[in-house]
Amino acid sequence: MATATNIIDLKDISVTFKTHDQTVAAVQDVDLTVEKGDIYGIIGYSGAGKSTLVRVINLLQKPTTGSVTVSGQDLQTLKPVELRQARKKVSMIFQHFNLMAARTVLGNVEYPLLGSRMSKADRRAKAARLLKLVGLAEYADTYPSQLSGGQKQRVAIARALASDPEVLISDEATSALDPKTTKSILNLLKRLNAELGVTIVLITHEMQVIKSICHNVAVMDAGRIIERGRVSRVFTQPQTALSRDFVETSTNVKEAIERIGSTVSIANFASNQELMYFNFVGQSTKEGVLSKLSKEFGIDVNILFANIDQIDGENVGVMIAILTGDIEGFNTAVTQWKDRGVTTQILTDANLKGGEL
Amino acid sequence: MAALIPNVLQMKAEFLQATWETIYMTFFSALISAVLGLLFGVLLVVTQPGGLLEDRLTYSVLDKVVNLLRSIPFIILLAVISPLTNFLIGTTVGTTAALVPLIFGIFPFYARQVQNALLDVDRGVVEAAESMGSSPMAIIFRVYLKEGLGDIVRVSIVTVISLIGLTTMAGAIGSGGLGDIAISIGYARFENDITFVAMIIILIMVFAVQIIGDWIAKKVDHH
Ligand SMILES: Nc1ncnc2c1ncn2[C@@H]1O[C@H](COP(=O)(O)OP(=O)(O)O)[C@@H](O)[C@H]1O
Ligand SMILES: [Mg+2]
Repeated sequence: MATATNIIDLKDISVTFKTHDQTVAAVQDVDLTVEKGDIYGIIGYSGAGKSTLVRVINLLQKPTTGSVTVSGQDLQTLKPVELRQARKKVSMIFQHFNLMAARTVLGNVEYPLLGSRMSKADRRAKAARLLKLVGLAEYADTYPSQLSGGQKQRVAIARALASDPEVLISDEATSALDPKTTKSILNLLKRLNAELGVTIVLITHEMQVIKSICHNVAVMDAGRIIERGRVSRVFTQPQTALSRDFVETSTNVKEAIERIGSTVSIANFASNQELMYFNFVGQSTKEGVLSKLSKEFGIDVNILFANIDQIDGENVGVMIAILTGDIEGFNTAVTQWKDRGVTTQILTDANLKGGEL
Repeated sequence: MAALIPNVLQMKAEFLQATWETIYMTFFSALISAVLGLLFGVLLVVTQPGGLLEDRLTYSVLDKVVNLLRSIPFIILLAVISPLTNFLIGTTVGTTAALVPLIFGIFPFYARQVQNALLDVDRGVVEAAESMGSSPMAIIFRVYLKEGLGDIVRVSIVTVISLIGLTTMAGAIGSGGLGDIAISIGYARFENDITFVAMIIILIMVFAVQIIGDWIAKKVDHH
């Protein structure tokens, strides 16, 4: 579906590394299209091929097969000097920031402009403006070694913006940061996407990160994209075991099930009791469900775990509770809820032991 | 004083000249070795497998040349290289003739040190520069040499100090300088005070290089 709105269009990409005694198929038969203005996440465990795949986008990594189109330009047909020009439109930020220790903060941000036709005064003015944009104006003359991780990443973001890129690739940019700093960096990226219209491709191994800023997501495993779609969809209806795994880790459901398994024994339940797992999407809320259960069906709900999130503008939540009462009536309620985005599942001892749904 | 260093006092002029000769040999061989060593060091790093301008043939040739030259003991190099010296300079004795073996003796050592200094430059930073559309030339000058400058200064100090040591050995082939005085006069005539003072002057030179070098390294390093 190569349309004019697709800023990135990778077709049939494979990357094979040959070392002396073995070959590694790092990326296999991947198609990837990213729409202009999107925030597109790529999630996968370490070694899945994420970095290799995004390095293909600016041809830092030549694909073994496949075509790479960015902004309508087939990058593999470009001469080296043209390719370098094209790379300025696809900026990258990295897990370890990759700032130049021998340059000041301002010098780092100015770096992409060296060798351009801009005068020194203009370069410095632009770099200063970008530092202000990321909230580090007063650090212009310090060296990166004096900054915190979050500040370093802000400098790296300012540097990435210096060449007025259309695409910003973030390769695990928050993986070395604490949760609070991660949040502030993600908010900054979100703001830059909204204010500058820069398309963002974001690699991570944390669903939490995808959840907080991405609209679309691709799940990668062993060099392949095994699932992709709107984040809210993948989050609520994961189609693969791996996606489910990422979702469960991010909602802490896994931990909750393990915790519940060590304190609750379903064998000791009364005949009118069930351990129930709820999944909410959209307008249905936990409160609505609870009041309906107790008011209309007289069911007593003892909540053991609940987690509500906002994903891409939608409410998404999970809850685990012990229900006591008329389970027949409960089943009636479940049928009514189905098309309002509430799904349920009775948990068994097997679920609790396996730590999975 | 006269009792302590009787022979030195009679040879003040010779000592002064020998000191200058040592400085002359060190300075000019350092200058030319710096150019050659930096060139080789940079080429080794960028042509290595996986490097910026990967070129297996160039890399393997440079690597072998450096290894070979580093394996020749300097005292043998002095003798072996004399036909080349004669061809280039027209003589094999004197300070200028000594520059040839000194350069061949020290630049491979320096090239290796530069190579190691540049290998310490963060691969990620180089990759970042590539992703920003920097050309290989720009990356060599604006990333490798700039980021590696602190380490390059430090290995340069070590190299110059080794070089001062080599100039004294060149005294064996009549290069002039403090080593020459120490051996051909002090040692040969059993005038120990001459040898001793020559050593003191050399130690002062070494300390001076170390102090100035450390100061520069500190200035350029921001890690
Ligand atoms: N330059 C390379 N040479 C050989 N193998 C590589 C190279 N780069 C990556 N790989 C291999 O390719 C696979 C994918 O790596 P990578 O793209 O870095 O994964 P991720 O970013 O998802 O952790 C890994 O098995 C890795 O070891
Ligand atoms: Mg990676």
